[in-house]
Amino acid sequence: MASRSKLSGIQRQVLALYRGFLRTARLKSPEERHRIESVVSAEFRENARNIDRKNFVYIEYLLRRGKKQLEQLKDPDITGLSTLEINKVYKPLNLK
Amino acid sequence: DIVKKQLVLPEGTDVTGASKFTDLGADSLDTVEIVMGLEEAFKISVDESSAQSIATVEDAAELIDKIVSNAK
Repeated sequence: MASRSKLSGIQRQVLALYRGFLRTARLKSPEERHRIESVVSAEFRENARNIDRKNFVYIEYLLRRGKKQLEQLKDPDITGLSTLEINKVYKPLNLK
Repeated sequence: DIVKKQLVLPEGTDVTGASKFTDLGADSLDTVEIVMGLEEAFKISVDESSAQSIATVEDAAELIDKIVSNAK
């Protein structure tokens, strides 16, 4: 396989988390799945655009938060995102 | 075709086996989605490390062949 530019460990974690959300979304009803995918995609992309890639403390915080949200989402009794905080827009801390 | 659909490529875009997803405008998140789409289309499961090593259409095709072969 062609080698790709090596991803940092934290980048791999982010992508793995993203995959986790997409996998879990598949287990929901088609309509709910679509909504989850849209919200999650927008969330990850917004964070990718807005967060300084060297702000490791904040990124790791978001990863932990995301993993908790994913675990909640895996609960079959949770049919959607309304009970999650995913819809909040993160406001990156201005650490200077 | 799956790749084109995922990336919403303009009609007539040339996608060959050697095309890098990044050359087609994909970022890392797009590549994750492409691999997920392929998994579903071929009813396979790609493990995490394999998924993260895919960079071209050819990579994806080879991996799918391998997985499908192992399943038989």
